[in-house]
Amino acid sequence: MKISIWLGGAITAASIALSGLAAHAQKAGGTLVMLVQPEPPSLASYISTSGPIGLVAPKIYDGLLDYDKDLKEIPSLAESWEVSEDGKTVTFNLRQGVKWHDGEPFTSADVQFTVMEVLRKVHPRGPNSFKEVTSIDTPDEHTAVFNLANPAPYMMRSLGAYESPMVPKHLLEGQDVKSASLANNPVGTGPFKFVEWKKGQFIRLDKNEEYWKEGLPYLDRIVGRFIPDASTRAAAMENGEVHYGAYGAIPNVDVVRLRELDSIGVTTDGYAMINPVSLIEFNTTEPPFDNPAIRQAISTAIDRQFLIDNIWFGYGNPATSALSSSYAATGLYAPGMPNYPANADVAAAVKILDDAGITPDANGVRAKAVLDLIPYGEDWRRAGEYMKQALGDIGIELELRYEDVPTWLKRVYADYDFRMNVNYFYQLPDPVLGVHRHYGTDQIRQGTHFVNSSRYSNPKLDQLLADGAREADADTRSAMYKEIQEILADDMPVVNLFEMKFLTVYNSKLKGHDLSGFGAYGSFDQVWFDD
Amino acid sequence: MSHTAKRLRYVLKRLLQAIPIVFAIIVVNFFLLQLAEGDAVDVLAGEAGSATPEYMAELREKFGLDKPLPVQLAVYLKNVLAFDLGYSFRHEMPVLDLVLDRFFPTLLLMTSTIVLAVGVGIVLGLLAATGLNTWRDTLISVFALLTYATPLFWVGLMFIVVFALNLGWFPTSGMENIAAFHEGWDRVWDIAHHLVLPTITLSLFYLALYTRLMRASMLEQAGMDYVTTARAKGLTERRIMFVHVLRNALLPVVTMAGVQVGALIGGSVIVESVFAWPGLGMLAFEALFSRDLNLLLGIFLLSALLVVGVNLIVDIIYSWLDPRIEVD
Repeated sequence: MKISIWLGGAITAASIALSGLAAHAQKAGGTLVMLVQPEPPSLASYISTSGPIGLVAPKIYDGLLDYDKDLKEIPSLAESWEVSEDGKTVTFNLRQGVKWHDGEPFTSADVQFTVMEVLRKVHPRGPNSFKEVTSIDTPDEHTAVFNLANPAPYMMRSLGAYESPMVPKHLLEGQDVKSASLANNPVGTGPFKFVEWKKGQFIRLDKNEEYWKEGLPYLDRIVGRFIPDASTRAAAMENGEVHYGAYGAIPNVDVVRLRELDSIGVTTDGYAMINPVSLIEFNTTEPPFDNPAIRQAISTAIDRQFLIDNIWFGYGNPATSALSSSYAATGLYAPGMPNYPANADVAAAVKILDDAGITPDANGVRAKAVLDLIPYGEDWRRAGEYMKQALGDIGIELELRYEDVPTWLKRVYADYDFRMNVNYFYQLPDPVLGVHRHYGTDQIRQGTHFVNSSRYSNPKLDQLLADGAREADADTRSAMYKEIQEILADDMPVVNLFEMKFLTVYNSKLKGHDLSGFGAYGSFDQVWFDD
Repeated sequence: MSHTAKRLRYVLKRLLQAIPIVFAIIVVNFFLLQLAEGDAVDVLAGEAGSATPEYMAELREKFGLDKPLPVQLAVYLKNVLAFDLGYSFRHEMPVLDLVLDRFFPTLLLMTSTIVLAVGVGIVLGLLAATGLNTWRDTLISVFALLTYATPLFWVGLMFIVVFALNLGWFPTSGMENIAAFHEGWDRVWDIAHHLVLPTITLSLFYLALYTRLMRASMLEQAGMDYVTTARAKGLTERRIMFVHVLRNALLPVVTMAGVQVGALIGGSVIVESVFAWPGLGMLAFEALFSRDLNLLLGIFLLSALLVVGVNLIVDIIYSWLDPRIEVD
C-alpha cells in the first residue's frame, strides 16, 4: 500500500517553533526596495508567467504549497495533502481562518475556481500542469479533492505561488478573467498587500497585518522600483538606494565589481525552480540544418566553458544533455551523453562533417546560415560573435542578426523564418513542464512562443514523452528519461549550451531572502533587515 | 482694431491652422508604426513564456488588431475627436490617464532644462561676446564645444558616479525617495533634489548650442548701423549692449529654443532612461518595444500639441521682443 501522507501541520508547528527560537535574531520593520526590471505589464500572475510579474505577485498571492531550498514540498494554503494509491486522487486539507486582503474568507471554492476556471484556461503553462485534472470536489470549505484522469506527479511541483497562485473567486466570478480589474489591483492571501502602482516609478506593497503565519512578515513594506538603465541600477545598488536585484537586474560585468564591496552580497541560489538553460534551436526542416550530423558538429565545436568564463564571468555550467544536471536530484538526469564536450573538439567536429559528406567548397565553406540572437542583452551578442568565430573554424559561415523582441519572436515562432537561433528556456522543476514543449510533435504550435520551433518530430520520442509524464514509479521514469536523452543527444534538434546561473545581488543587511526554492519569486515573508 | 484683439485673432488663426497639421501627424504616425514587425500580442505572449494560438487570436480580437488598417485608423480618429485616446492593453489603463500621469515629470524636466539652458546659455554667450578673444571667450567656447560633443548618456552616468556615488550629494535616480513616501513640502524638496542631475545633464547639450548662438548673434548685432547711431547719440556702451543689442540678439536664440522643444522630448528619452525619470520619453521607449501603438500614438499626439503650442508662444514672444514683427 502506497499512501503518502504529509504531516504538514507538524512541519508548520516545527518551523514556527524554530522561528520562535531564532526570534531574538530577526528584527521586524523596514522597507525593502527591490529592482523590478522591466516594469511588468500587469500583476496578473494567473495570466502571465512574465519575469517581473513573478518578482511581485508571489508576495501578494499564496500557492497551495511552497517549496524549500531542496524543492521539497512544504505546506502553504494546504496544511496537508494526500495522494491516493493509484495516483489519481489528490486531497488537499486547507488551512482554516485564512482571509483574502479584502476580508473575505479563503475556502475550497476558491481553489476549485482558481484551478478549473483560471489556471487551466488562461495561464500559459496551466493547461499543461493541470492537464489531467478532470474535476475538483469540495466536500467542505476546507477540503479540495483533485480528480485526475492519469497520475500527474509533476503537478505537485507546480503548486507554488509563482506558478499557480490561488486567486479570489468572489472578485473574478462572472467576469472575463483576462480583462478583470484584479490584474492591476491584486487581492491575495499573501504576506503583503498591494497598495499603489505608480507607472514608470514603483509598485508599493505593505505588510499584511492579518497574515496567517504568526509574526510574519517581518518587513513593513516592499517597494519594487523600475530603473531602465543597467548602469544606473548598479549605481543605485552601490549607493544603498535599492537593496535587492535578481534575474540579472545587475549585469554580470557590474557584479564582478560590486561583489568586492562589503555592503553587497551576491548569490546564485534561488533559481533551482526555474532551471534556465541556454541553447541553439535549429530549423530542422530545411538545409543546411536538416541533417543531424551538422547539428552534432556544432555542439562539438562550441567551447561551452569559454562562453561561460569569458562572457558570463564564470557563472554557469556546461550543458551535458537535453536535461539540466539539476534534475539529478529527481533521478531524471543521465550523465555521459555523447556530443556534449565542455571544451571544443574541433577535430572531432570536422570528422563528423566529413563522415556525413558535408564537404568544404573552394573557400573552405561547408554551410552558410544566419544566426539569430535572443534580444535580451549584450551578452548574447558577444556569444553570437564567439560562435561566428568558432563555427567558422569548422567551415560554417554565420551572419549575425539581432532584432527587437517582437520582431524576433514573430520570426522564430510565428513565421519560422530562421535557420539557427540562440535562446534560453526555463526547464522548470519537472521536464514535463519545461522540456517536453521543446521536442514533442504536439508542441509544433505555430504562433506559440517558446515551444518546438525546430519542428522536430519523432514518434518514438513522442511515445516516451507521453509515458514519462504519466509514470509514477521513479525508477521506471528515470529509465524512460535516460532513453529520451540518448535520442536527443543523437538527433540534437536543439543544442544545449550551458546551464545558466542567474545572479541575485543584495545589500548585506538584508537577511532571510534565500530561504525559499523560488528565490526572488518567493513570498519574502521571512526577509528582514539587520542593522 | 486694438492690439490685444489683433493678437487674439492671430492666436485663433494659428490654432485653426494646427488642426490639419495634428491630423496629418496622427495619420502619418499611424502608418509609420504599422511598419514595425510584430504586434502587442506577440510581445505579451512572448513575455508570458508561452500562450496558445487561440488565446493570441482572442487577444487580437479584443485589442481590435484583427480589423483592416483603414478601419483601425477611422476608429482611432473618431475616438480622438471625442478626446478619447484609446486604451493601452498592455497597461490595462486608458491612454489618456497614462500619458497625463507621465506628463508632469516631463514638463518639469523640460521646463527646468529650457530655463537653465537658455538662461545660462544667454549669460555665457553674452560674457563670451563682450570679452571677445580674451581668455574668458576662449574658456567659454572650449566648454561649449566639449559639452556639445559629449554623449548625453555618458555625461549622465559620469554625474551619477561623481555626484551620487563618490560625493553622495544627490540620489542616483528616480523622481522621489520612494522608500520614504514624503508628503507636502518635504516631497517638493525631495523632487527638486532628484531633479538636479537630470536637468544639468539634459541642459549641457542645449546650453552649448545657445551659448554659441548667442555669442554669434551678439557679434552680428554689434556691427549693425543702429549700434553706430546709438553710439553717436552718446549712449553708454552698457546701455547699448543691454538695451539695444541684447534684445535683438535674443531673437535667434528664442527661435532655436522653440524649434528644439520637439528635439528635447527625444533627448529626454536617454536622460529619463539613465536617471529612471518617469516621464513621457521613457514611456514612449517602452511602448515602442512592447508595440503598444495606442499609447505611442497618444504620446506622439501630445508631443505634437506641445510643439505646436510652444511655437505659438515663441511667435508671441517675438512680437514682444521686436515690435516690428507684427502678429498677423
